[in-house]
Amino acid sequence: MTNFSRRHLLATGAAAATAFGLPSIVRAQSAGRVVVIGGGFGGATAARYIKLFSPNTEVTLIERDPSYVTCPFSNYVLGGIKQIDDITHRRDPLQQRYGVKIVRGEATAVDTNAKRVRLKDGAQINYDRLVVAPGIELNYAGVPGWSEQAANSVMPHAWKAGPQTLLLRKQLESMADGGTVIIAPPANPFRCPPGPYERVSMIAWYLKTHKPKSKILILDAKDAFSKQGLFVSGWESQYPGMITWIAGKDGGKVESVDPKDMTVTAGFGKEKGAVINIIPPQTAGRIAIDAGLAEANGWCAVDPANFASKKARDVYVLGDASIAGAMPKSGTAANSQAKVVAANVVSSLRGTTPPAAVFHNTCYSLVTPDYGISVTGTYRPGPQGVAEVPNSGGVSPMQANAAQRKAEADHTAGWYAGIIADTFG
Amino acid sequence: MHRFVSPWLLAAAIGLAGVGPAVAQQRNNGISDITLAAQTCNVCHGSASYISPTMPAIHGHDANALYTALVEFKTDKRPYTIMGRIARGYSDEQLKALADYLAKN
Repeated sequence: MTNFSRRHLLATGAAAATAFGLPSIVRAQSAGRVVVIGGGFGGATAARYIKLFSPNTEVTLIERDPSYVTCPFSNYVLGGIKQIDDITHRRDPLQQRYGVKIVRGEATAVDTNAKRVRLKDGAQINYDRLVVAPGIELNYAGVPGWSEQAANSVMPHAWKAGPQTLLLRKQLESMADGGTVIIAPPANPFRCPPGPYERVSMIAWYLKTHKPKSKILILDAKDAFSKQGLFVSGWESQYPGMITWIAGKDGGKVESVDPKDMTVTAGFGKEKGAVINIIPPQTAGRIAIDAGLAEANGWCAVDPANFASKKARDVYVLGDASIAGAMPKSGTAANSQAKVVAANVVSSLRGTTPPAAVFHNTCYSLVTPDYGISVTGTYRPGPQGVAEVPNSGGVSPMQANAAQRKAEADHTAGWYAGIIADTFG
Repeated sequence: MHRFVSPWLLAAAIGLAGVGPAVAQQRNNGISDITLAAQTCNVCHGSASYISPTMPAIHGHDANALYTALVEFKTDKRPYTIMGRIARGYSDEQLKALADYLAKN
């Protein structure tokens, strides 16, 4: 809850060096206790790399769910080309191979002065450094007429993978040929910028192969979206006439929904859907907000050099919950930020100079199972936040042959296997 | 901005590379710039402990061959899918240091 100024941090730095009542040289050799909140791509990668960099550091990972269902590839469950088991992973290797202590539970409060995390069951865990990687919180109130109850029955979000993914898949399987699937993506910023449009592609794949008279209507809060040229070109060649996108400026922004009538009202009018997928506005995960780490806009400001919180000392916030400048909210981005955080956590515990930060992102999307496209970027800390290295990165070429699109589809699978191994060990 | 490794630093990193899995150390017992930078590759290419079934293995690869490939990706002499866009995020000197690190870890 404390709002630390930079000046305050500097002033307390010297005192902190002798906080254990030990000479600073001894303290520099202390391996330290690190608590990580959240076992997704960001938190699990941070836990694993802290152990790789410093095996003697005690790392405790607090995670609510027994297994991890990845948002990446959940669109392929919707498209029918993957099963939910294919995207469900256990975290056991973190404990068995790397010695990360996994605590099943929900972090409900952080005392950043006493440096202590409290769990729902009342347990308390002390830390020397805290890594907060809670992902996102969905804002159910952000779409008038919608609710958590509506999401769990007739208008799923499927923006946290698991039961919601299966619910949306079931609705697609149940709908009659000739129906309209409505997908409503939110305004920026939100988790996985290309995700809604890959979802459109994968639902189109399912409809094309099973219910070819059906249509997809995208009611967008935005006027532009990630990899737009590539997606639109792919839709025109692979799913001609099936997909309509309405930009925010053309009345696409959803104003309200009616779960009983299965209708959506946007700026241009009211539309009935056989299946309606609402992707709501989002904020940083609740614990980040409850711990006082978020700004008024719901996201957590961090130092671009190391993702240290701007609100609390010895706390790092990474992944979707953070304000990461030019980096998107993606699994790869969280994985990359986690390595920088791990290096900084270990360096600060040892009292050594941290390495210069470099960040990476790659987001693959499938237009069809054999048609992949990508966006990638290399990033460095800059005066305005994390910035892309000039003249690097970018999206797949607009003009490419089928073999190149197939190669990127193969890389999509390779990336997935890679990030699972890199995150969970 | 780019505080990439100097030769002595890289030598120190290589000398201590056996200490942990793919994690070398700087002379002041810290984590070197190149050690951190090289970890970004793992997300697709795997590590010494995980070999990807589909992505080219780069750990333990010949340093010169790796460097040549990276520079050719960067300059579009070796047109492919994504590596040109990624390699353009690094100077030739940085690519050389990355290739040397990956070859030895």
